[in-house]
Amino acid sequence: MSELSPEPQAGAAAIEALLEKVQAGDREAFMTITRLYQRKVFVLAYSILRDREDALDAVQETFLRLYQKAGLYRPGNSFQGWLLQMAKNISIDHYRRNRKKKQEWETTTPVEEMPLAAGPAREGDSAAADLRQAFARSVESLAERQKMVFIMRHYNELQFNEISEAMKISIGTAKSLHFKAVQNLRKRLAPVLGIGS
Amino acid sequence: MDEMRGMTPADRAEAEAVERLLGETAAVRDEIRRAAEAVDWQALPALIADRALAAEDGAAGRKAGAPVRLPWPAALRMRPALAGLAAGLIVGAAAMYLALKAPGPRPGRNEAYYASGEFLDRAELEMARRGAVDYLEKSQYVLLDVFGSDEAGPVAPASVRMSQARDLLQKKKYLNGQLERFQMAKAKALCDQIEMLFLELSQIDDELPAAELGRIRGFVEERQLLLKINLVKKELESGV
Repeated sequence: MSELSPEPQAGAAAIEALLEKVQAGDREAFMTITRLYQRKVFVLAYSILRDREDALDAVQETFLRLYQKAGLYRPGNSFQGWLLQMAKNISIDHYRRNRKKKQEWETTTPVEEMPLAAGPAREGDSAAADLRQAFARSVESLAERQKMVFIMRHYNELQFNEISEAMKISIGTAKSLHFKAVQNLRKRLAPVLGIGS
Repeated sequence: MDEMRGMTPADRAEAEAVERLLGETAAVRDEIRRAAEAVDWQALPALIADRALAAEDGAAGRKAGAPVRLPWPAALRMRPALAGLAAGLIVGAAAMYLALKAPGPRPGRNEAYYASGEFLDRAELEMARRGAVDYLEKSQYVLLDVFGSDEAGPVAPASVRMSQARDLLQKKKYLNGQLERFQMAKAKALCDQIEMLFLELSQIDDELPAAELGRIRGFVEERQLLLKINLVKKELESGV
């Protein structure tokens, strides 16, 4: 069980039964599924969006879409993979919309009206904060598939087989993308980490 | 640490770098944990369920005959493809209406073949006039040829005379319709008299005897055919 997603896992048969009820409009069944997977979806959304409110919006939208499209789930496939794929797509859509809005806001708002990025840094926190920011920027700049595999592996703490189901790629591809992501991050963060590239 | 024992210094440095790098993910996980702690996970499923059911009720209401009435431009704004299609249909219909309504050549047709009904009538009248003038002129030549030599007999041989008469008889058949259609009564009456004469000439296949020649000449002179031909030709040429 993931450290960040402490909900109990449900068996495939139980999930399929719940989905059938959801299709029939069963509110309780829908709430049960939401309760089981809401944190996993939140972690993935937050990892992409890095904002709590945006992540919660993405969580709601993911489960609303699940309610509408429950009939499209194919029994036998990984439900978690299917749901996380939806969450990933919704979060990426949010991210793109937010980035566009942010760019527009930055180009139209006078500099003096923009809020300061951070308050005065405390002694000792500065280096750690710099590293964290550099790390976040480097993850952000990874190619999309590398970024998704890295996020799912390290933030969602998914196994490679779960990542392959969520991204509809082979396990070998998932491992390869993860390796490339780590290498790229290492290369980009070499000056900050004080290691040779 | 045990794993690093057999490594070269370079490999060890690399492994440490990656470890330190991945250690940063712990900081992000802490950030996610803090963000998650502020969420009311107990209330969220009910909130989402309410929204899902409300959305479904709204959709069902619309399906059940309670359409959301939007002013049509707003509806089109919401559906760019539909708006584009509708605009295309309107513009296309307007263009087709204007093209079919306007006088003149139709789009897609070869303009070289276009002519109005009035123009065609005028052209046919002109052709009938020219046809009649041509017929009269040729008839005049034949008559002059036949009667050009006084007592010495016709200049042209019998075979040529017969052939010319038959050609003109043939032509007269086509001319009849045009003369009648455009009510060219004077020209038609003259052409009819000449036709009778040529009919007679075409049936005489040997050289004209002097008596026969005299009789036909008398007919021509009596009717003043050559004079009439000149007058009618001038009338036709002047367009009266």
